[in-house]
Amino acid sequence: MMETFKLLAPLAWRNLWRNPRRTIITLFVVSVGLWSILAVASFITAWAQSSRDATLRLLIAQGQIHAEGYMDDPNISNLMPPPGAALVAALNRPDISNWVTRLELPGVVQSEYKTLPVSLVGVDPDAERRISSIPEKIVEGRYLNGLEDDSAVIGLNLAKRLKTALGRRIILMVTAEDGWLEERSFDVVGVYDADTAFEDTYIFTGRSTMQAMVGVGDKIAQIAFEVPEDAALAGVVERLRAAAPGLDIRPWRKISLIMGAMDATMGGVIFIWLAVMMVMISIGVINTQLMAVFERTHEFGLLRALGFKSRHVLWLVTFESVLLIGLGVLIGMIAGAATVWGLSDGIDLSAFGKALEAFKAGDTLYLEVKTSDYIIFPLAIWALGILVALWPAWRAQKISPVEAMRQAT
Amino acid sequence: MKAEKKPIVSCKGITKVFGKDELAVHALRSIDLDIIEGDFATLAGPSGSGKTTLLNMIGALDHPTSGQVLIDGQPLSGMSKSQLSDLRLNKIGFIFQAYNLVPVLSARENVEFVLRLLKVEANERRTRADAALAEVGLQGLENRRPSALSGGQQQRVAIARALVARPRIVLADEPTANLDSTTTGELVDLMYRLNQESGTTFLIGTHDPRVMEHSKRHIEMTDGQIESDIRA
Repeated sequence: MMETFKLLAPLAWRNLWRNPRRTIITLFVVSVGLWSILAVASFITAWAQSSRDATLRLLIAQGQIHAEGYMDDPNISNLMPPPGAALVAALNRPDISNWVTRLELPGVVQSEYKTLPVSLVGVDPDAERRISSIPEKIVEGRYLNGLEDDSAVIGLNLAKRLKTALGRRIILMVTAEDGWLEERSFDVVGVYDADTAFEDTYIFTGRSTMQAMVGVGDKIAQIAFEVPEDAALAGVVERLRAAAPGLDIRPWRKISLIMGAMDATMGGVIFIWLAVMMVMISIGVINTQLMAVFERTHEFGLLRALGFKSRHVLWLVTFESVLLIGLGVLIGMIAGAATVWGLSDGIDLSAFGKALEAFKAGDTLYLEVKTSDYIIFPLAIWALGILVALWPAWRAQKISPVEAMRQAT
Repeated sequence: MKAEKKPIVSCKGITKVFGKDELAVHALRSIDLDIIEGDFATLAGPSGSGKTTLLNMIGALDHPTSGQVLIDGQPLSGMSKSQLSDLRLNKIGFIFQAYNLVPVLSARENVEFVLRLLKVEANERRTRADAALAEVGLQGLENRRPSALSGGQQQRVAIARALVARPRIVLADEPTANLDSTTTGELVDLMYRLNQESGTTFLIGTHDPRVMEHSKRHIEMTDGQIESDIRA
């Protein structure tokens, strides 16, 4: 076996360079194909990650706990008491990095010019600074100062629609515990800049202020929590469910169905691209190897006449494919790694501004290729390339020596 | 009394028909032929007389439609493709008219190729290849690729390759067809000398009179039949 390898390896390598232009074109197809797969995979993964982080960091976090029924009907009758000792202990475990309690209810905001539906969120500002990006997104004024803060932070677009501004007052109306519509005026102390839909929906104030306004005591609507590793989320959710059996505990994919669908779709896009590239590479490899086989028919006949067995011909052509595709894969991997490394400081998308808002990505994408992608994609292309090259190899080994020699003369 | 030499090749009533029914072409018609050890035989005849077809049968490259070919008493019929490859490797050397060297291998590597298939150890392989190339007058050109050799030099490499494994018989099909007269003369002298010195058996398909001049046995073919078989 080793002797056969020593016989075929140099022959296969030199055969590759008999037609350098064709070999280079095939190398180009394979390497650019793999490079594009790695680049697209890293770009889409970065985009999905950025988009997910940006959205989850606004308010959703990675999981939420609610009273049963709140998610379907988020009204005041579906609130829950603050977490008990068992749940607090479960939330304080190291696999949860941060958690906050919020009171969130649907309401109406009114300015001198307009009345609009909103969600009023009573927050613990100190805890929010650890889990939410809203405090960092204040573009005018300030964020809230404490649980008792009785001012309001509103979105930039909502301010425009209400024709209000920093320092002006707005009226918020929310259904109270007693069923009556409670209204109260708030000073606008801060304006935040997130995405338009979010800005139009959420108004923030101190949690205690809101609890007092609607008369729910210390009741809350949700606990939002963050985990250091998304992969650990399912386990954390299960653990919390065990600690608080009567509550509705959901991971972010079950809260933001759009985000969950987008996350799944982006993975699919990578595989669609992989499939397209694989088809292109397959066509390139089959074409190259078939041409190489047809051009050398007489030579295969000569080799067979000299004592080469048909399996040697099969191995020779297959070995040429192994080398050709292997080299292309190597170049593609280096190019892919160089691209990701070259863009390791991130791709600044801030220039695209609002145009990219629909995709909910952050301003900067940080490309990253998973180690598993570096193994799986090149191996998949290599294996597929060799597989499709078996056909030309099989044809080559079927050539009878006398037919081949007849062609030679 | 001199012992009678055994035939290396025996053809017993072989026929070869290409195509079927009214399109059938009878390339060989009931050929009976023995090639004896040490022969320097030429197989002559006009184009289409069946020379190449007969050489292909003897070289185990093709099967007869009927009849039998025996090499060293072993019938080729019933042998697998792999066994036929082994037989060609071990017992037969080939020299073809053209395209007969592997273009990506040097002269030495072309000659060594057969020894590699025979799993000869590297040092011995090199020694034997260089000796074979020296024998055909190509000392100093061992590292040249075929494209850097003249037509005559390429045929010399082919002869060295055909001989290096010490085959029982060398089959040459029009080995001088593409060569000028000087080179043809040199090559024929070379093959004849090798036959005389080492006793290697040659069967040469040709219609070149310069090759036939050296022939110790002249077989003439016409229309797929042996018309005459004359020993000099």
